[in-house]
Amino acid sequence: MSATAGARTVPETHCADSEWRPKIVALVCNWCTYTGADMAGTARRTYAPYVRVVRLLCSGRIDPLLILQAFEQGADAVLVSGCHPGDCHYVQGNLYARRRLTVFESLLDFVGLDQRRLHYAWVSASEAVKWSHLVDEVTAKVREAGPLGKWARPAMEAWQPPFELPEPGPEPRPKPGDAESAAITGHLRELAATLLDSEQVKLVIGHTPGSLPGQMVPAFVRSGQETGVLAWNDRCAGNLAVYLPEMVKQAGGRVAVVVKSCDARAVAGLLRENQVRPEDAVLLGVECAGIWHEDRLAARCHSCAEAVSPLADWTLTASGAVEGSVPPQTERATGPDPRSAQLAVLEARPAAERWEFWQREFDRCIRCYACRAVCPLCYCQTCIAEKHSPQWISTAIEGPGNLAWNVTRAMHLAGRCIDCDECARACPADIRLDLLNRAVAGEIADRFGYQTGSDPGLPAPLTTFHPDDPDGFQ
Amino acid sequence: MSASGYLPQLMRISSQRDETSDVRTLRLEQLRPAPLIWRAGQFGLFSVFGLGESAFTIANPPTRGDHIECTFREVGKVTTGLRRLSVGQVIGFRGPYGNSFPVEDWRGKDLIFVGGGMGMAALHAPLRYVLDNRNEYSEVVILNGARGVADLVYTEEMVEWASIRGVKVVRTVDPGGETPGWDGEVGLIPQVFEKLGPQPDDRVVIVCGPPVMLHFMLQSLDRLGFHPEQIVTTLENRMKCGLGHCGRCNVGPFYVCRDGPVITVAELQLLPPEV
Amino acid sequence: MTGAGWRLSAAEVKEWMEWLLAGGRRVVAPAGDGGLVLFRQVSSAGEVRLEGSAHARWSPKEFLFPRTETLMSYTFDDSNSIRLAPPRPAEMEQVLFGVQPCDAAGLMRLDDVFLGDGDGDQLYADRRRRTAVVSLACAVARPECFCTAVGGAPDGTDGSDAQLLPAPDGYLLRALTPKGRELLGGLDSGWQVTTDKDWAQARAQAERVATEIGRSPLPGDLPGRLIGAFGLPIWSTLAERCLGCGICAYVCPSCSCFDITDQANAYCGTRCRSWDTCTLAGFTRHASGHNPRPDQPSRFRQRVLHKFAYFPLESEGRLMCVGCGRCVALCPVGMDIRSAVDNTATEVST
Repeated sequence: MSATAGARTVPETHCADSEWRPKIVALVCNWCTYTGADMAGTARRTYAPYVRVVRLLCSGRIDPLLILQAFEQGADAVLVSGCHPGDCHYVQGNLYARRRLTVFESLLDFVGLDQRRLHYAWVSASEAVKWSHLVDEVTAKVREAGPLGKWARPAMEAWQPPFELPEPGPEPRPKPGDAESAAITGHLRELAATLLDSEQVKLVIGHTPGSLPGQMVPAFVRSGQETGVLAWNDRCAGNLAVYLPEMVKQAGGRVAVVVKSCDARAVAGLLRENQVRPEDAVLLGVECAGIWHEDRLAARCHSCAEAVSPLADWTLTASGAVEGSVPPQTERATGPDPRSAQLAVLEARPAAERWEFWQREFDRCIRCYACRAVCPLCYCQTCIAEKHSPQWISTAIEGPGNLAWNVTRAMHLAGRCIDCDECARACPADIRLDLLNRAVAGEIADRFGYQTGSDPGLPAPLTTFHPDDPDGFQ
Repeated sequence: MSASGYLPQLMRISSQRDETSDVRTLRLEQLRPAPLIWRAGQFGLFSVFGLGESAFTIANPPTRGDHIECTFREVGKVTTGLRRLSVGQVIGFRGPYGNSFPVEDWRGKDLIFVGGGMGMAALHAPLRYVLDNRNEYSEVVILNGARGVADLVYTEEMVEWASIRGVKVVRTVDPGGETPGWDGEVGLIPQVFEKLGPQPDDRVVIVCGPPVMLHFMLQSLDRLGFHPEQIVTTLENRMKCGLGHCGRCNVGPFYVCRDGPVITVAELQLLPPEV
Repeated sequence: MTGAGWRLSAAEVKEWMEWLLAGGRRVVAPAGDGGLVLFRQVSSAGEVRLEGSAHARWSPKEFLFPRTETLMSYTFDDSNSIRLAPPRPAEMEQVLFGVQPCDAAGLMRLDDVFLGDGDGDQLYADRRRRTAVVSLACAVARPECFCTAVGGAPDGTDGSDAQLLPAPDGYLLRALTPKGRELLGGLDSGWQVTTDKDWAQARAQAERVATEIGRSPLPGDLPGRLIGAFGLPIWSTLAERCLGCGICAYVCPSCSCFDITDQANAYCGTRCRSWDTCTLAGFTRHASGHNPRPDQPSRFRQRVLHKFAYFPLESEGRLMCVGCGRCVALCPVGMDIRSAVDNTATEVST
C-alpha cells in the first residue's frame, strides 16, 4: 500500500464493470446548443452516447466552477457550448463567456490538464449535424486520452520535480544602504505624526520590526506620540493594503497607509472595485529600491520600474517627504523577471509533466487559506471556499479540492492580481502561486492587451468584452 | 469505542409532523433493532448521507424508548436536506452524546419549563419524562413562547399536557405576533414569566431559547430571587464530532458535546461568555 | 536508561534506515518535497535529510492525524437503502524518523486529545499503535524556538521511542522504550557502545542549545492566571494584525481540531474529517449566522487560552504547546504566541 496513513477509500460506484466508458459532461446553453442537440435527437442522428447534457440558460452562466465540479465528480471531459457570437439570446452573455472561458482554458492548460479533456464550441439551434460530429470528435479525443485517473492521489512520498526551474539571475541593482532606509524611516515618522496630530488621518498603517531577526510586521499607529515604532527598510515585504477596507470601517475616518508601488496597485484595485473610497485612504508612497529576502531581490522587483507609485499622496525619499507622487529623476535599473524564465521552462514541458508538477505543488497545500488572507484583492465576506450549499470546493485537503481551490483563486484573481506575490510569500508550503498568477496575467496581456496597473478607472478585463476578442471556440 | 465510532446506525423515518412552516419533528425507527439507551437531555448526530451531520437533542424521553424523535428547524445545509426527505427514507444516527437533565434530583420539586421558539425542543424530553412519571414530581408549569402564533411548536401536545392534573400551560407570543383567535398571552417570555411571579422556594427552572431571550430571562429570574443553581439551561454551540475531540464546541475548559449540553446557570457563569 | 546506548556513524544510521525499510515498515523522515523539506515517506535512506539545516517545514502530525481521512463511505442502493462501509484500518507499521524532540512531544498532546478519555478515537489509536518515533536531538537553536519555556528540551525524550543525538563524528543513539529497542532489530550488536563521556558531551550540547534558546520555563500557575485574562482589552491589540488564516494551527504539532464533511454524488459518498482551526471565522459560526467568536481577537484569544489555560487546567498542567515556534516563523504578519502569552500574563498580574 503506497497510500498514506490518511488514504481515502475510494467508494465503489454503482457500475463497477471492467470496461471503461468515457464520461463527458456537456454544459450547454438553453437557446442554441441544447436546441441543436435536441434537434439531433429528433432527426435520429446517431452519435456517441457518452455525453451527459447539463442545460443552462446561457453560456455566460457557465462558471469555471461548474467545469471543475464536473471533473471532480468524475467526468473525463467537459464540453462547453453556446450560441455563436452575435446570436446570444441575452445579446452578450456568450461574449463574456468567451473571455472568461478562454482564460480558464489556458489556466487549466498551464496546470497540465490534458487539452483533450476540455472543449469549447459554438453550436446554434439549427446545427444538429455539427453537434453530433462534435460529440463524436470529443468522444474520440477522450478515448485517446483515457480515464482521468490519479486525481485524488495523496502523495506523501519524497519527491523532486522532473525538471529544474532556473534560479534567478543577477540582481539589476544593489541592495539599498541602511542609511537611506534610516532617513526614510525618520521622514515617515515625522509625516505620520503630523498627519495624526493634525487629525488629517485617524490611523497610520506601516511597518515595524517583528520579534524574529530582520523581520518586519504590520503596525497600527493612532497617535503622533507612537510613530516611533514605524520603520522602513528593504524587508518591508507585506502588502498593507490588505488592511485598508476593514481599518477604514474601524477607524471611522481617513487612514494613511505606507505603500510600495505594488501595494498601491492593490489600493487601485480596491478603489476600482469600490471597496475603499478615494477620500478614505492616504497613500504614503515610499521610494522603494526593491524588497530583499536575505541576499536576493524579490522576483517581482526585478522588472519593477516604478520606484514610487503614481497614486501616492505623499512621496517619502531619503531626502524628505513631499506631497504628491514624485518619481525619482534617475531611471532605475531593471532586469529580466526571473519568473518569466521559470514560466518559459514550465510551459515548454509536456502537459503530463506540468500536471505532475502542479499536482505535487497542490498536494502540499494544507488549505490554511493564508494566500487568501494576505491578498488585498481577496476581500469577499464569504469566500467561495466556504460556500457549502452546494459545496463548490471540497474541503477535504487532498487532490481534487486542492486543485479546485488553487485554480479557482487564480481564476478569481484573473485580471485583478496586482503582482505583489504576497500569496507566494505567505504560503507555508512554498506553492508557486506567483507562477500561477503570473501565467494568467501573461495570458490576459497577450489576448486582451491588458495589464493590471495603477489606474482605478480601467475596468478589469473579465468584467467586460470586445466583439473582436480572440475566439478559440470550434 | 470500536472502529465504528463515527459509523451511524441507520434509521428509517417512520412518521413526521410539521410543527411550523420550517420546523419539523421526525420519528425514527432503527433499521436493525438494537438496544438504544439514553437519558433525557442527551443529543445525537443525525446525518443526511451526502450532506453531513447535525446535532439535535433527542426529543423523546427514554420512557418512550422504542424509537427516536428529533425536532429541527430548516436553517442550514443538513436541515434543508433533512426536510426534503419523506417517510420511509433512511438517515443516520449516532449517539447518545453529552450529559442529561438531572431529572432524578428534581423529584418532589416544582418545575417550571420555559421554552422560547425552537428552545422548546430541548425541553421536550425532560418534560415528557416528568409527565410520564407524574406522581414523582410536584407542580409543573410550562411557559412556551414564540414570535408569532404560527411559530409555536408542539401545539397539540400542549393541549394534552394542559389537561393533566397539576400541570399549567402558559403560551405567549411576542407583541404583534397574535392572531384574531389567539387566546394565549401576548408579551415577551421574561415579562410573562414575571407576571406569573413564581417564588424561588424549592423550584427548578429549566429554560431554553435563543441567546437574547436567555439573557433577559436570567435577569428576570435574578429579580425574582432565583439562585443560579436552580436554573438549568442547555448550550447550543456548533458541534461536529460529539466526542470532545474536534474542538469546535470548546468554551473555556468545557466541551459542550462532552460536558454539556445541560448546564446550570451557576456553572455557565464560570465559563467565558462564548455561547 | 540514560548512559546506555550506541555510537553510530552517519553511514551506520543509513544502514539502520535501510534495514527498517527492508523490514516492510513505512519510514517517514525529513525529505525533499519540491523545494522544501517535509516529513515524507521515503523509499531509501539517501532521501532522508537529517542535517541540522534540514528543518521540516511542519511537524509529522499528519502521519497520525492526517489532513483528511475517511471516517466511512456509503453507497445509495436505491432511495431507501444505504450501505455503510467503515474506513480501511491502518495496515502498516510506521517509523517517524528524525523527529525533533518538540514534535515528538507534540504527538503526546495528540494522544491526550484522541486517546485521553474513554471514547478514544479508534482510527487514531490504530495508527498510533503501529507508530514508533525516533527523535533527533537538536544541535542548533532557531530564533523561533522556545521548547525550554514549555517543558521541553533540545534533547527532550517525551514521545520518543528512541533518540539520536548529534555527536562530533556521527550520532549517539538511545532506546527509550521497548518499542524503541525493537526498532534496533539486533543491529546494535554491531554498534559501538557509548561511554559516559559521550553522554556528558551530548548533555553539554543540549545545554548549550537551551542557553541559546534562552527561555526559562513558564510558571506553573500560568494557566490559572490566564483564565482571568479572558476579558482583558489587550486581545484586540495583540490580534490587530492577525489576518485569520490557518497557518499557525496547521503547522502546529499539537493543534488537533477538525471538521467533518460529506462528499457524495448520486451513487456514493464518503464522510471524512479534515484539519480545521479556531482561527478561521467559520469555525464556530452557527447555521443561523450567529457566531460566538465574532472577531479575530476573540479567535486568537481562543487559540492562546486553549493552549496555555483551558487544556492545561484539565490535563495536569500540560501545556498544549511544545515550543517548536513554527507558528512564529511562518506567520505572514509576524504574530508571536510567545509575546502574546508573556504580555497577557503581565497584564493579568497588574
